[in-house]
Amino acid sequence: MKRYDLIVIGAGPSGLSAAIEAAKRGLHVAVFDENGKPGGQLFKQIHKFFGSREHKAKLRGFTIGRQLLAEADAAGVEVVLNAVVIGLYLDKEVVVRLGDEIRHYKADAIIAATGASENMVTFEGWTLPGVIGAGAAQTMMNLHGVRPGRRILMLGSGNVGLVVSFQLLQCGCEVAALVDAAPRIGGYGVHAAKVARTGVPFYLSHTIVKAEGEDHVTGVTIARVDEKFQFIPGTEKHFDVDTICLAVGLSPMSQLLKMAGCRMEDNPKKGGQVPICDSYGETSVPGIFAAGDVSGIEEASSAMIEGRIAGAAAACRLGFITREELEEASSAYRASLSQLRQGMFAPENRGKLLEKTEEGVDISMNLLQKGYLLDEEVEKYPGVTRRKGIHPVIECSQNIPCNPCQDACAKGCIQVGKKITSLPVVDGEHPCIGCGMCVASCSGQAIFLLNEDYDETSATVTLPWEFLPVPEKGARGTALGRNGEPVCEAEVLEVKTAKAFDQTRLLTMRVPKEYAMKARFFRAAESGVGA
Amino acid sequence: MNQVNDRSRDLGPMVPQPDDDRIICRCEEITKGEIRQAVHDGMFTLTEIRRYLRTGMGLCQGQTCAKLVKGIVARELGVSPAELEPATSRAPVRPIEMRVFAKEGKGDGADE
Amino acid sequence: MELMSNCAEVIIVGGGVIGCATAYYLAKAGTSVIVLEGSDHIGNGGSSRNGGGVRQSGRDPRELPLAMYGIRNLWPHLSEELETDCEYHQDGNLRLGKTEKHREILEGLADRARACGLDVRMIDGDEVRRINPYLSHEVTVASWCPTDGHANPLTTTLGFYKMARRLGARFITGEPVQELRTVKGKIRKVITPNHVYEGEQVLVAAGLHSREIFGTVGIDVPMDGSLLEALVTEAEPPMFDQMLGTADADFYGHQTKHGSFVFGGSSGLEPFYKDNGTPVTSSRTAPCICRGIMKYFPDLADAKIVRTWAGWSDRSADGVPVLGAVDEIPGLYAACAFTGHGFGISPAVGDQLAKLIRTGSTDVDLSPLRYDRFHAKI
Repeated sequence: MKRYDLIVIGAGPSGLSAAIEAAKRGLHVAVFDENGKPGGQLFKQIHKFFGSREHKAKLRGFTIGRQLLAEADAAGVEVVLNAVVIGLYLDKEVVVRLGDEIRHYKADAIIAATGASENMVTFEGWTLPGVIGAGAAQTMMNLHGVRPGRRILMLGSGNVGLVVSFQLLQCGCEVAALVDAAPRIGGYGVHAAKVARTGVPFYLSHTIVKAEGEDHVTGVTIARVDEKFQFIPGTEKHFDVDTICLAVGLSPMSQLLKMAGCRMEDNPKKGGQVPICDSYGETSVPGIFAAGDVSGIEEASSAMIEGRIAGAAAACRLGFITREELEEASSAYRASLSQLRQGMFAPENRGKLLEKTEEGVDISMNLLQKGYLLDEEVEKYPGVTRRKGIHPVIECSQNIPCNPCQDACAKGCIQVGKKITSLPVVDGEHPCIGCGMCVASCSGQAIFLLNEDYDETSATVTLPWEFLPVPEKGARGTALGRNGEPVCEAEVLEVKTAKAFDQTRLLTMRVPKEYAMKARFFRAAESGVGA
Repeated sequence: MNQVNDRSRDLGPMVPQPDDDRIICRCEEITKGEIRQAVHDGMFTLTEIRRYLRTGMGLCQGQTCAKLVKGIVARELGVSPAELEPATSRAPVRPIEMRVFAKEGKGDGADE
Repeated sequence: MELMSNCAEVIIVGGGVIGCATAYYLAKAGTSVIVLEGSDHIGNGGSSRNGGGVRQSGRDPRELPLAMYGIRNLWPHLSEELETDCEYHQDGNLRLGKTEKHREILEGLADRARACGLDVRMIDGDEVRRINPYLSHEVTVASWCPTDGHANPLTTTLGFYKMARRLGARFITGEPVQELRTVKGKIRKVITPNHVYEGEQVLVAAGLHSREIFGTVGIDVPMDGSLLEALVTEAEPPMFDQMLGTADADFYGHQTKHGSFVFGGSSGLEPFYKDNGTPVTSSRTAPCICRGIMKYFPDLADAKIVRTWAGWSDRSADGVPVLGAVDEIPGLYAACAFTGHGFGISPAVGDQLAKLIRTGSTDVDLSPLRYDRFHAKI
């Protein structure tokens, strides 16, 4: 039987990272993935990632995927695609479907990086065609170039629901509403804000009563729920939609590990049934490791680090590196991982209502309920200042682990500091030159350049633009507020693009002076976006 | 003895609910009402529910409905879902045609 | 829980189909019963891991009367009685052969069955394909028993459980029996890690575990475990209703009401598989079963396998069960060592054991299946 030092199951972010770490240390590694393309979810992630430079922040997911693949290739990892692992048997035997046959392989160590599957919720009509998972919608759009629907209702306000809603807008769909039974938005405020400013209404404490339609979805009714998640009669709202997207969480795909006899636990905090692992990701079966979502639902950045740790640990188990070398490698990775697990969205804060930021600023309840900061509260945050001439306005109001804005400003105008969850501070002592690098680098699209002294009566607002069509210079339209409502007329002065912006355009619009702190989106007179 | 092991535990009468006819397991078309009735008939574990009703026994092998069924059974029994052990994982974890499963490749490299 | 008594007229050790069926027939007759199941699930051993055959053909003459009794008296109305669809089909059993050697094996089995009054006849390949047109031309001979059939072991087991429970039988799962104890020369106590149960009569129907449980009162039933594996396909359109087996024993099974096929088989390596503590399938058996099936049913080559499973059968030293009173220990009864063919006779076993426990007599002679029948060969 063909034998490898290490077989990794799943070529997503954690699997590839694990394979790279192990192969770099001399292990003969194969990665099996059931898909035709490697990268797992990374190639569906067209948005820029959070974190710091070491977490590959401000890079788009698919770029990170490409980098990982190149790294795996250089390390000599054998990535086998369309390779469906159908069983993980005794003695670390992996049975793989390849084409029209199966093959038996063995390995001295196994790393399961099989990821997660989407949860469903039920409501009347939930089995109608047109009710799809948000991940499925992403696959359709970003891997296959298929628009999932024309008018869509999104259920779920976690990061997946928010990010996919934005991608649906980018894809040319109309998002009729974003709905969540929870009383507060679950994902990052900045993700919510970039959806809200296009005009998508948020309905928190609401959920779906029924999907309507005979043989496919033609509409949906939602209603408000009370604290016990029971519908409140008389609060029903109807939307004509052809698609309902569900972003209601993920479950680890841990079946192979269970089959292999690994001790499992049912852990709601980790999203379901997960293997019990030590701090290196090793399960109760010596030599079988788990990394990424299969060992507990998180996001791709932490999955990659978990993969690195498991890969190094497998190398140590098989005698390719010493225990000391493993400790050295893993302690650096752990530090990096713990950075990602800090801030308001840290695992220990799940389900808690935080009222103040680490800096002691009130957290906007409107942001948590409607998806946007109110005009009167935005200036409370340290990234939002008013001054003469061009300057950045950073509408970042939650402590999330992210600092590319600090690195982006060559002039030192923006300070996050050592603690990467701190809110960015705009430092008035350094002059802004209006280069726009901060605007393009902000993964949350929360940075704007303002010039309130453009001329006697008008100001300019420069905002990140990731939609097609790109408005022409001179185009006229409407400026929308943070809530997506029209606030004033606007004229596009300039649309800048640069390699360093990585596909984010910088759209500068002219608005009447008094709307400089209010206008945050542009809707061309004839455009569909935000309509 | 826990609440699942004592099969004589009184669950009270099975009170119909308005959404009892809602399909929960799509592959096998099993409704919420059938699942609730099975619990009242003594099927207290997810394994028994599966064997009695076929929930999660279709092509998707419970990928979609496992959590949903678990929630319904837990509510009916008045226990936390975490107390109910998920059903056994069985190969093949993805459906595979008989002719493919039958053909054990002799090649010794994945790239051949 | 504290209020409930740990005493009953009958304690049944083992919540498989035998334990559940016996509990049902006892409870129906008004006898108080407690059933103790070691695992967390009712019907978790061979009861949920078998091919569902309800056969008379191919059986040893010592157990054939039980099979015939059940098919005549119990199976035809079992679904109604248990208010559960047991999916019983009485559409015959084909035991298939391809070679002269197979023909000899099949003729031997058929002769012995006819001697016991069972209608089994030999048919040729063409007649086989008139009964089941999907069979390949490799099949040249078969034995045909029109009164055989199949049922769903999962729903049948749980159906017996459901009705026994409804009639007041008490079931406790996760309650592994460690020891039996006598009081003044009669069986009395059944001991688990946390409780002591008491009954006037005790039935041990714990599959492979029966041997160690009997050992605690100095009784030995010679049996060992043998691993059975099977696979299940996705639902296919209805093709045939017969139960199938082969002279070569390379596979057995049927199409279920649901449309899926359930086929068991073996790789030939089973006696040497490692026991890792749970019944886990081997990576080599299912492919082997698939190859076996496709030679008989080329049309099934594209059917998708959705599941495989394995289970231990309790194989007795002479291939038939141990059933009836354990005379040395008054009040103790055995129902084990079914050797992989207990499901089909389970209603009859439950019915007759209940009668034996209640009245001391049975309709079917169980004496050839006594626990103390095993002797050295010379």
